[in-house]
Amino acid sequence: MRNNNRIDLVKDERKNGEIILPIGHFTLINSEYKNSSKPKISIYGLGSCIALILYDKMHDIAGMSHILLPSSKNGQVENYPHKFADSSVKDLMNEMKKKGAKLDNIKAAIIGGATIFKHQDSKIGVDNIRSIKKELRKLKLKISKQDVGGFKGRIIKFNPNNYSILVKLTQEADFKEI
Amino acid sequence: MKEKDDSILDDLNENTLSRELNDTLMELGNIGSGNAITALSKLLDKKIDMALTILKVVPFWEVPYLYEDPETRVFGILSKIKDNDDLIFLQLYTVESAINLINGLEVKEKSPLQKDKIKVLEDLDDFSLSIISEIGNIVAGHYSSALANLMSIRLVPDVPDVALENVSALIDSIIASNCEGNNYSIIIENRLNLDELEFKGHFFLIPSMETIAHFIHALNLKYDF
Repeated sequence: MRNNNRIDLVKDERKNGEIILPIGHFTLINSEYKNSSKPKISIYGLGSCIALILYDKMHDIAGMSHILLPSSKNGQVENYPHKFADSSVKDLMNEMKKKGAKLDNIKAAIIGGATIFKHQDSKIGVDNIRSIKKELRKLKLKISKQDVGGFKGRIIKFNPNNYSILVKLTQEADFKEI
Repeated sequence: MKEKDDSILDDLNENTLSRELNDTLMELGNIGSGNAITALSKLLDKKIDMALTILKVVPFWEVPYLYEDPETRVFGILSKIKDNDDLIFLQLYTVESAINLINGLEVKEKSPLQKDKIKVLEDLDDFSLSIISEIGNIVAGHYSSALANLMSIRLVPDVPDVALENVSALIDSIIASNCEGNNYSIIIENRLNLDELEFKGHFFLIPSMETIAHFIHALNLKYDF
């Protein structure tokens, strides 16, 4: 049941102008913010989850979601569509289009999908990567940046002021731009 | 034959548990961890303190914050006790804690581990890794056998899987299937303390809705509630 007050939309910033994006939530950044005061969006522990970033530089709109599972299966009405890769891509696209983003200009970045426990039969990280790539393909969205897979967790910081995406493995000291 | 208890689901969606369910789950935590800690105590030949069970009903997006600081580096030992992720048992020991414990063993006196050199699991020597695996094995085995005996059901953990990671990155794959059909996880938590070696740990039992119904059914059968 969607209404104008989305419970899964995160707007609250910490004092340092940073939004921490929890699992199953999303955020939208557009030109409502004055120049260079757009908050950065971070996830401090990205294991098997996927961080999806969609951005339209031309219209100055960006969105990010924190995805837990590959597919919503039943297509049930969900308060948290961003729990699932399929519903998250659709929803984030729709929300961005509402703010004026155009399909031709939207690019995608995907980060995460690691396998932390190596000996499990189910590899949720791998399934998440496969699912999100499939959904992006379905909606004709190009993946312009990715840092996915592997066996280590990640920390990610997205800066919508300059569209930079900084990623590091949790045990590393320095961030790299992807 | 699985028995679904719809009232548990209703309770969960409202973020509350009935008093009876609350007490039952707490008791499972007390019994499971009591048995596990007794065994661990014998293994290490040291006194280990245990705090009372904490029962949490947590929305899925808050599960990574089981530790206050989501960037805490921990050894996570994952044991799956039933199929389909229906019952997960997780042990977490901070890297610092585990190193203190290993260094406190006589064998390591001459070549202690250094905390800043242990960044990933591969940085551990075989002996140290085997200590952690053995602790994982003994704790998971004794925790689940205590519950199995209590309820006269079969609960046998898989071989434990060990990882070294930030606690928040480690948790998401664990709760993924638990939270697929619902938005809350029930987490049965116990903390242990071995002051002499500055070693601390956490146990987390994470049952699915079906498993909880199964437990209630088994307890009712056996103890004639």
